[in-house]
Amino acid sequence: MRWLSSVSALLALSLPFGSFAAKKESSVDRFTEFHSQAVASSPLKLVDSTYRKLTSGSRDYTVAVLLTALDARFGCQLCTEFQPEWDILGKSWAKGDKNGESRLIFGTLDFTDGRDVFLSLGLQTAPVLLLFQPTTGPHAVPTSDPIRYDFTSGPQSAEQVHSWLARHLPDRPHPAVYRPVNYVGWIITIVSGLGIIGVIFKSWSWILPIIQNRNIWAGLSLIGILLFTSGHMFNQIRKVPYVAGNGRGGISYFAGGFQSQFGLETQIIAFIYGLLSFATISLTVRAPRTRDAKFQLAMVIGWGVVLVLMYSFLLSIFRVKNGGYPFKLPPFM
Amino acid sequence: MAVATTASSGPVDLLINVGKNQSTKTLLRVIILCFIAGAAIASRLFSVIRFESIIHEFDPWFNFRATKYLVANGFYDFWDWFDDRTWHPLGRVTGGTLYPGLMVTSGVIYHLLRALTVPVDIRNICVLLAPACSGLTAFATYLLTNEMTTSSSAGLLAAAFMGIAPGYISRSVAGSYDNEAIAIFLLVFTFYLWIKALKLGSVLWGALCALFYGYMVASWGGYAFITCLVPLHAFVLICMGRFSMRLYVSYTTWYALGTLASMQIPFVGFLPVRTSEHMPALGIFGFLQLVAFLEYVRSAIPSRQFQTFLYVALGGIFGLSLLGLVGLTAGGYIAPWSGRFYSLWDTGYAKIHIPIIASVSEHQPTAWPAFFFDLNMLIWLFPAGVYLCFQKLEDEHVFIIVYALFGSYFAGVMVRLMLTLTPVVCVAAAIAVSQLLDTYLVARSPEVPDTEEEASDGHAKKASKQGGLRASSQPVVGIYNVVGKGFIAGAMVLYLLIFVQHCTWVTSNAYSSPSVVLASRMPDGSQHIIDDYREAYQWLRQNTREDAKIMSWWDYGYQIGGMADRPTLVDNNTWNNTHIATVGKAMASREEVSYPIMRQHEVDYVLVVFGGLLGYSGDDINKFLWMVRIAEGIWPDEVKERDYFTPRGEYRVDSEASETMKNSLMYKMSYYNYGSLFPPGQAQDRVRGARLPEQGPVLNTLEEAYTSENWIIRIYKVKDLDNVGRDHASAASFEKGHKKKKASKKRGPRVLRVD
Repeated sequence: MRWLSSVSALLALSLPFGSFAAKKESSVDRFTEFHSQAVASSPLKLVDSTYRKLTSGSRDYTVAVLLTALDARFGCQLCTEFQPEWDILGKSWAKGDKNGESRLIFGTLDFTDGRDVFLSLGLQTAPVLLLFQPTTGPHAVPTSDPIRYDFTSGPQSAEQVHSWLARHLPDRPHPAVYRPVNYVGWIITIVSGLGIIGVIFKSWSWILPIIQNRNIWAGLSLIGILLFTSGHMFNQIRKVPYVAGNGRGGISYFAGGFQSQFGLETQIIAFIYGLLSFATISLTVRAPRTRDAKFQLAMVIGWGVVLVLMYSFLLSIFRVKNGGYPFKLPPFM
Repeated sequence: MAVATTASSGPVDLLINVGKNQSTKTLLRVIILCFIAGAAIASRLFSVIRFESIIHEFDPWFNFRATKYLVANGFYDFWDWFDDRTWHPLGRVTGGTLYPGLMVTSGVIYHLLRALTVPVDIRNICVLLAPACSGLTAFATYLLTNEMTTSSSAGLLAAAFMGIAPGYISRSVAGSYDNEAIAIFLLVFTFYLWIKALKLGSVLWGALCALFYGYMVASWGGYAFITCLVPLHAFVLICMGRFSMRLYVSYTTWYALGTLASMQIPFVGFLPVRTSEHMPALGIFGFLQLVAFLEYVRSAIPSRQFQTFLYVALGGIFGLSLLGLVGLTAGGYIAPWSGRFYSLWDTGYAKIHIPIIASVSEHQPTAWPAFFFDLNMLIWLFPAGVYLCFQKLEDEHVFIIVYALFGSYFAGVMVRLMLTLTPVVCVAAAIAVSQLLDTYLVARSPEVPDTEEEASDGHAKKASKQGGLRASSQPVVGIYNVVGKGFIAGAMVLYLLIFVQHCTWVTSNAYSSPSVVLASRMPDGSQHIIDDYREAYQWLRQNTREDAKIMSWWDYGYQIGGMADRPTLVDNNTWNNTHIATVGKAMASREEVSYPIMRQHEVDYVLVVFGGLLGYSGDDINKFLWMVRIAEGIWPDEVKERDYFTPRGEYRVDSEASETMKNSLMYKMSYYNYGSLFPPGQAQDRVRGARLPEQGPVLNTLEEAYTSENWIIRIYKVKDLDNVGRDHASAASFEKGHKKKKASKKRGPRVLRVD
């Protein structure tokens, strides 16, 4: 409550001169005030009142405020992803600029603390990064409106925001982003790595037959091939939904269109490919090695039927994806 | 294979016996291969028959232009070619920044045919080079498959698959005169030579492999695939404990000679020792020396402890050199993975850091329908074939397995790399099909066994202990029942027929459009050719000065250079991102910003592609966001992607489009005067299904010079500076008869002038 007392003291002293002088006085004061807080912990955690105090009126310093919604209720993934980067940026700036030469203050305003600010700015989305340029002093800019940073292209790194800030704050020091070394993480990695090596060394006689097992390698290779050829990498890169509704309350398993797919769809396709491959393998490798004639015939017919059914089904799915595809096989016409 | 036991006379037996003689078999094989090559070539000629003998798409136009330059000026001029008609005003060191293999091949064929007094046009050689190479690819696939299996039908099947698989046809139809046309043949043939060298441990085959590897390097940037796959194969073999002198001899021969050969290409130069893509090959080369040395020492000193020491030393040196590599990369002595390669591993990288790579449609990931579309039933025969490779698992089968895994990963990440996957799919599928048919197409059925199963059980157990596949531990007896044989063989034949149909259908419908010429159907079913591109380029060629600079988005740079023969600012060789971003900025900004940029770059004409009238979706408005993104990468303060969307985040072109969008040069050029085609207020964009605002855009600094028949190409002339020094906006308003507004209505208080 120090700022309150100082302001009231000023007011009491300069009563005859009106509030003008008080306001002007407080611009410098406010900066030192907030800056001393920022040295302790930057970015500052703001609430409605401090936000208004920091950004209203004339100021000879710059304020960068991140308006965010970290509460899990809002489900703002971008906010939670960006928050650690923002903290790193605020900390390293405060550390590199202890004397406040850049006259920049970092603040974070969470929606739960500053609902009114969000309403008054008419914000529908979070996070939003606002940069309030100084209105007086050597770096003053004519417009008092804050500059808005866009998060359109996904989560940003501290370095990207840093370069954006640096562009808007010419002729002032720009302390570099400093990422703290995660010693605990390093120790954990090294120790666990050594531990794993030790376990492998101890159980080598068990592991060796597994590594040398041809069946396991064959299985792994086939799984890998099936994953890649059924469009798994597309799912990874494009982050497609697993399934989607068809608009009538049901589930649509197959995305319409040649260039899109769902997660479940690729699994179905991988399964069909796998079944067809397995049928082929069984017919080629197992069936001619079966000594019992009746069993062999049942096997051949059984896998043959699987082959026919699945391929027909695959073609029918493909016709869904590609409207003009002319080929089909019974029974799935 | 079945061998008939009786040799009785009769016409049927005679027919059967024809195929048994060794020389007849060879003759049959040659004939079949010739037919396959014929089919491969024929299926690629759709576009020539439907349209004409014309170069397709974008990149081939550059290759064609370079080939013409080579033929006209000779090899040495070509090698030193500095092209001042592209990338104005920078120019391009073309001779040093291209892969010359394709052009030199065409040039050699041209001169050869000329020497044989065959009057042939260089254009026809360029158009037909890709189909001709596909015949060779089929043959190379035949050779490669024959190295994998003893079944003689597998090679022929693989050749047939390779000949008509759409995954390969997509890049090798007649007219698609691109590096891939010749490179896939070289890829498959290099792999064949590598397998051959490895099997024989022969320096001769290794040197041949290096020779064709050098040819491959000269032809296509995709040579890195070989550079990484061969060392990977060697590494896997060493890890499996299969180091042999054969491996040592073939690998070292290939590496030493191949690297020297690749360094002869100016574009590659010292990259093989300086970039990360090439480090696996170098690393395995060193590793093999170590392993060979240790093997030698081991054979000389049989002490058990010393051997353990050696293995530990081997692992230690390997780890240390890996660390050294990382250190050198971090220190900047070795270039890290270039963006294009790196984006294959870290798939989100390109989107964030190199929009120009992410913007290319063939660099997108592959959805599953694309796999099925390009490979049809081969895609599910492929895993079966790979599984069959595990049966014997000799050195060459390991190669197929490694290739299959990496090929399918890369093809999944990038549509374009389907091309490198296709050969291995064909080989593996052919192995599966041939083994299936060999089993089920045998006329002779085995005798039903009686009761000596106990005797064979012991044998089976032994086989499974040896580390083979569980499924193949029993001995083969064959198929007893004719019904089963007929069923499977019939189904397989039906599938193969559908495969041929599918390939023909895909080739005819999807891959045979030159994209320079568009085809559409008239209401009566007859074909209508839309030839706007050539029409517009011809106009440029005939109506503009020879050194008139044309500004367009980079997609059309090669075509303008090739067809209109005019200098361009940017083209498909996207070597200078800043220059491309400059063009993007000029397109994306207001006229007042764009005009100085165009003046500075001496632009005379601006060319845009507009599909709104025809419903042609590959036009510039649809590519516009990439221009904005690329420009934003360089000028984040002046161009912002967000400004081109409506407040609700939509990309619109109608009356609700954002102000920045409406004022951008690209928007204005696309829709300038467009409303005059329609009744007032009815103007419609048929690509984006939008009704355009009644008041069309106004252009002050450009004037419409030419618009093609279907409005696909619109060309604007950049106005010269105003004669009396006005800016163009006020000059235009003066022309219209508007009164000039006074600069300031409010005058200050009158003051006495004191001189």
